[in-house]
Amino acid sequence: MKKSKWKSQLTSSLFVLPYLLLFIFFLLIPIGYGAWISLNNWDLLNPIHEFVGFKNYSKIFDSSSYLNDLFFEGLKNTIQFVVYSVPLLIVIGLGLALLVNALPRRIKGLFRTIYFIPYAVSVSVVAIIWLWILDTNSGLINQYLQNLNLPIIPWLTDMPWAWISLVIATLWWTIGFNMVIFINALNDVPEELYEAGALDGASRWQRFIYITLPSIKPTMLFVLITSTIASFNIYGQPFLMTRGGPGTSTKVLLMNIVDEAFKQRQLGNAAAMSLLMAFIMIIISVLQFRITNRKE
Amino acid sequence: MQNKTFKVFVVLIAIIIALMFIIPILWMLATSFKTDQEAFTAGIKWLPKVFTLENYQYSLSDNPDTPVLKWIGNSLFVGISGTLLVLIVDTLAAYGLARLDVPFKKLFISIFIGSLTIPWVITFLPLYMEFNKFGLLDTYAVLILPYTANAFGVFLLYQYFRGFPKELEEAALLDGANKWQVFMKVVLPSARPVIWTLAIFTFMSIYNDFLWPLVTTNSPEMRTITTGIAIMQQGSFVSSPGRLMALTSIATIPAVLLFIIGQRSFIKGVNQTGIK
Repeated sequence: MKKSKWKSQLTSSLFVLPYLLLFIFFLLIPIGYGAWISLNNWDLLNPIHEFVGFKNYSKIFDSSSYLNDLFFEGLKNTIQFVVYSVPLLIVIGLGLALLVNALPRRIKGLFRTIYFIPYAVSVSVVAIIWLWILDTNSGLINQYLQNLNLPIIPWLTDMPWAWISLVIATLWWTIGFNMVIFINALNDVPEELYEAGALDGASRWQRFIYITLPSIKPTMLFVLITSTIASFNIYGQPFLMTRGGPGTSTKVLLMNIVDEAFKQRQLGNAAAMSLLMAFIMIIISVLQFRITNRKE
Repeated sequence: MQNKTFKVFVVLIAIIIALMFIIPILWMLATSFKTDQEAFTAGIKWLPKVFTLENYQYSLSDNPDTPVLKWIGNSLFVGISGTLLVLIVDTLAAYGLARLDVPFKKLFISIFIGSLTIPWVITFLPLYMEFNKFGLLDTYAVLILPYTANAFGVFLLYQYFRGFPKELEEAALLDGANKWQVFMKVVLPSARPVIWTLAIFTFMSIYNDFLWPLVTTNSPEMRTITTGIAIMQQGSFVSSPGRLMALTSIATIPAVLLFIIGQRSFIKGVNQTGIK
């Protein structure tokens, strides 16, 4: 009897084994390896790595080191993008969901699909399309502005327009996903609540504030956290659309990390920057979770 | 009556916003059929004066530095094989953890779910070094394997299997089926919708990934379409909007069509994931 239990456990383990191996090789080992790299003076071309302890980290916090600039300038730019994009990703995402839900049943699916289509496009295509639309001389938007006798806008080469362009392209690309999540949440709000609200004479707006918003709060939190993480990971849009410019004002942290790793070949520094970035992201997610849940 | 005006108003707004979503794609298509001279000419022309297919011919022509068809093939191959691999290992693991007597089950579950909170940037450089060490940069392996470690699918399927009625499996076991047969004949067919959802999620994230394939490949024939386009934008296509737009149209249309077909299950899947 004992033996057959042992045997059964073995065959059951075989179900988990393939994934476990992939998990170890492509997640657990890299995490440990990355931490180790960050503790070394690790030049990509030099096979000898010198263990330096936390020196790479202390360089990041040492204001006389170029790493300090690289990390905190990049972080500042990334956080700017997060601050500009996340509120819009949530508000417009919810707005589109409400709009789609208010449409007659027959055309609901059509519009939901249309708003969701750009999500299927890859970031390089997004960048190329928007570069062409926002082009200073031949771009569609500036041509329309000229037709209206309005001054043309240097969309990608001047501040704050560069940020605005990046946010617009990002919204166009990803807002559909948030919308779909909000539509699902809205459909789960019990109909009786609205009926009760209507009986009490609540206006559309009051029903939204007092019934809809509290009911979809968990979804709000989910969208807030996932949108923040996605915006923190921004790379493709500034890399392809503004190349970090004008100057380095849209050069985000991930671009600086990639440059430090593959242009300067200082992998130890870059690994330390990655770990710090991840640490900041985790802290922000936890804070968002705590703050949103406290009010209950 | 007031309700009716409201409805008309809502539909109007929906149409205006829909235009904002579609115009960039239409403008891309319009430019792709124009000569460059016309594309740069001032004034907005939605329909090209001289309708040309030259841009498409050029983009699809067999150019050793920019093998566009090969890139699309790479993307499809990497996306499909990565997705299949994820589906196989994730369904097995999720079923094992949800139903079978796996030792240290609780520990595995909490480690896998906990790993979902780890930002991807942590593993990015060390993964690169790992593949570098084994000489696997610039191969299909580096474009496929890293995506398989993600615990999202295990988590999604685990939740589904936990809610799946046990009676069906027990009946099959009484009939003398072994675990493997129960899994293949009873459990998998029932999980088809969730599996389909996971497939779309996975395929899209592999197909559209940018930074990873950008840094881990460098020979022209190993590029995916997403990274290939980005490199072309800086190279031979930089001064030709027509060619660039033809190229992006070629890359976009299949993905968009697939997406329109698959999005219903995708949306249903969002519902099932418990993202509420």
